[in-house]
Amino acid sequence: MKVTNKKSRFYYVSGFLLIFGAVGLAQAAPQFSQQEIERGAYVAKVGDCIACHAVQGGKPFAGGFPMPLPVGTIYSSNITPDPTYGIGKYSFEDFDRAVRHGVAPGGKYLYPAMPYPSYAKVTPEDMKALYAYFMQGVKPVAQPNKPPTMIWPLTIRWPLAIWNWMYVSEDHVYRPDPKQGAQWNRGAYLTEGLGHCGACHTPRGIGMQEKALSASGASGSLFLSGAKIESWYARNLRGNDVGGLGNWSVADIVQLLKTGRNSSGAAVGSMTEVIHHSSQYWTDADLQAVAIYLKSLPADPNKPKAPPPVAPVPQPDLHSAGSLAYAQYCAVCHQNDGEGAAGVFPAMAGNPTVESRDALNLIHVILAGGKTAEVKGVHPFTMPAFAGVLSDQQVADIATFVRSGWGNSGAAVSASEVAKVRADIAKTH
Amino acid sequence: MQNSKTHPRANLSMRTLLAASMLAGLAFQPTMAQTALAQTASSPAAAAPALVAKPKPTHEVPFKAPDLASLAHEPNGAEILYGYRLMTQTKKLLPNNVGAAMNCTSCHLGGGFVPHSSAFVGQNALYPMYNPRAARVVSMADRINGCMMRSMNGKPIPKNSPEMKAMLAFMAWMAKDVPADAKVKGAALYKISTSIKPDPVRGKAIYAERCAACHGIDGEGSKNAKGEYVFPPLWGPDSFNIGAGMARTYTAAGFVKGAMPVADSLHLPTGVGRMSDQDAVDVADYFSHQPRPDFPAAIYDWPKGGAPKDVRYCLVSLGNCTPAEIAKAPKPPGGK
Repeated sequence: MKVTNKKSRFYYVSGFLLIFGAVGLAQAAPQFSQQEIERGAYVAKVGDCIACHAVQGGKPFAGGFPMPLPVGTIYSSNITPDPTYGIGKYSFEDFDRAVRHGVAPGGKYLYPAMPYPSYAKVTPEDMKALYAYFMQGVKPVAQPNKPPTMIWPLTIRWPLAIWNWMYVSEDHVYRPDPKQGAQWNRGAYLTEGLGHCGACHTPRGIGMQEKALSASGASGSLFLSGAKIESWYARNLRGNDVGGLGNWSVADIVQLLKTGRNSSGAAVGSMTEVIHHSSQYWTDADLQAVAIYLKSLPADPNKPKAPPPVAPVPQPDLHSAGSLAYAQYCAVCHQNDGEGAAGVFPAMAGNPTVESRDALNLIHVILAGGKTAEVKGVHPFTMPAFAGVLSDQQVADIATFVRSGWGNSGAAVSASEVAKVRADIAKTH
Repeated sequence: MQNSKTHPRANLSMRTLLAASMLAGLAFQPTMAQTALAQTASSPAAAAPALVAKPKPTHEVPFKAPDLASLAHEPNGAEILYGYRLMTQTKKLLPNNVGAAMNCTSCHLGGGFVPHSSAFVGQNALYPMYNPRAARVVSMADRINGCMMRSMNGKPIPKNSPEMKAMLAFMAWMAKDVPADAKVKGAALYKISTSIKPDPVRGKAIYAERCAACHGIDGEGSKNAKGEYVFPPLWGPDSFNIGAGMARTYTAAGFVKGAMPVADSLHLPTGVGRMSDQDAVDVADYFSHQPRPDFPAAIYDWPKGGAPKDVRYCLVSLGNCTPAEIAKAPKPPGGK
């Protein structure tokens, strides 16, 4: 009884506040220039807000995107300007605090699935434009947020304050490095901040925190050094020859982010969605800046160097089960000489998915297939799933063959590794 | 053995026909049987085996290709593997026999391992087979050479050459698990109803949208950095000639329906179910009717009638060839 009374009083009060709040808002709503809103739309594109704050076929920014965690599933929130279910009542300060510090009005801590540790670096100018866009450039959607499926006490949020205190070491706007040029600094700002590349590409620690939020500091060498995420491997973006971007030029990086592929291969896994929703829309200048910044990240000296590019073309060999299985199942597209077809079938030589130190992506695409990023003006291509056709041993034979042929320096793959990835994929697909 | 028991009379009549035609020389209308003899002129005529068609298959078996990886255990594994390489790198390994920029695998995808694209799985079990186009029983080697002259726009491979033997060994191995009286389900091209009326204008639009990325907007195919074709040209001087099955609307449509476009689906085989029958007919009609090399000898096809309606050239048996067309054709005609 008491609870019900309390509840109804709560509803009464909040209803009252809502009406007056809405009226107040309508009166005081700041008007943003079209230019400001458009700039904000670009900031939202670069920040890739849509990737998590929408579901396929759903309304833009209405949330509801499930993020499964070991302890339960959380859902992204409605960030449309709807006053009841969205963020329509947020002041700029509320908005800034939520996006950059992970704290919603009323002191409610956001789960760090929201990359606020990276967004903390976003400049006030970009934040203001982003606010203008979300207030006036996005259509309000009256869609309630979905509560997480976790059980008490995991639903209690105040311990996240401790998490923030422990792990969010650089809770400030990006500070340009005076030793570097404007282009490099723009690249660093986009990579570490808005683009939140580290959310996937930086390994995470025991508290699920990114081990480094920038390339500086004690653990800076771990920044963007590659990490496993779901059953994909977000590759090393540092200057390593093998698995990193050492072999790629600035133009190669730009082309991949713009089109989803380049002469070395095609993006796979969730990166195709990043390209689809976000990076294809970045200006060439911004892509160039990011590529220049990434190329400046030094290689990890403990990681292997690529062998000199002597690239003998492996032939089908009677005594190599991998070469024969490749001939039978792969050569129809990737060709017997492993050259594939430019812009259609990726080549084997120097392909990061093929020779990456971690064979996860290669095994994953062989088993589950994959589709190149959907990008305006570029025909997407699909690789079929071979899980139903090839045994673990056959996949291992093929993977080992392509990782060691054409001058590639990837280590052998075992059937048990394949079995593990197969089981992981079965869980997520 | 089984065949001669089943068809003793067919066997006898073939022998008689062959002997008679040899004796009669080139009198009257030349038959395709003579062509086969002409091609094997180097071998002693007396040793030429009389071909007997296999009986029609009695049942279907599921599509199951043998594993190339098991070749190490075959006594003639190296020869079979050479056969596979000839099928997939035909132009490179047989430059004198291949006139077009084609490989066997251009139509028989993956070297015959891919369903619905005239897969080689089990084919050998069906030969020798009566071929209505040639109006005679043809061997596997004859069939391969038919492709060499038409789809490859080139020359036949000598039957006693190591290359032909390797190709035959590969074909035999691809049928090793298929019973002699069985047909493999999904090996052949889809059958597309000839009652579907082609719309080449629509076909051109479909081609631009779904085919041109690989085969080129002008059907020119595409090459790798070394200048070798990766996607075969669908028309023009380097493409298959007018006598090829692929130059016929409904045969080409069957291929398109079952095998194209590749890399368009997460499910194997990737080309299946990506186009409606109408789309396949429209696009096939468009590309098959583009300019391509001639094959003058084709006028002697279907000497006993029964030509399908999508044949694009005149036929002596129909009496619709001009004197010029007849003069252009070699005598005796090449091809089967």
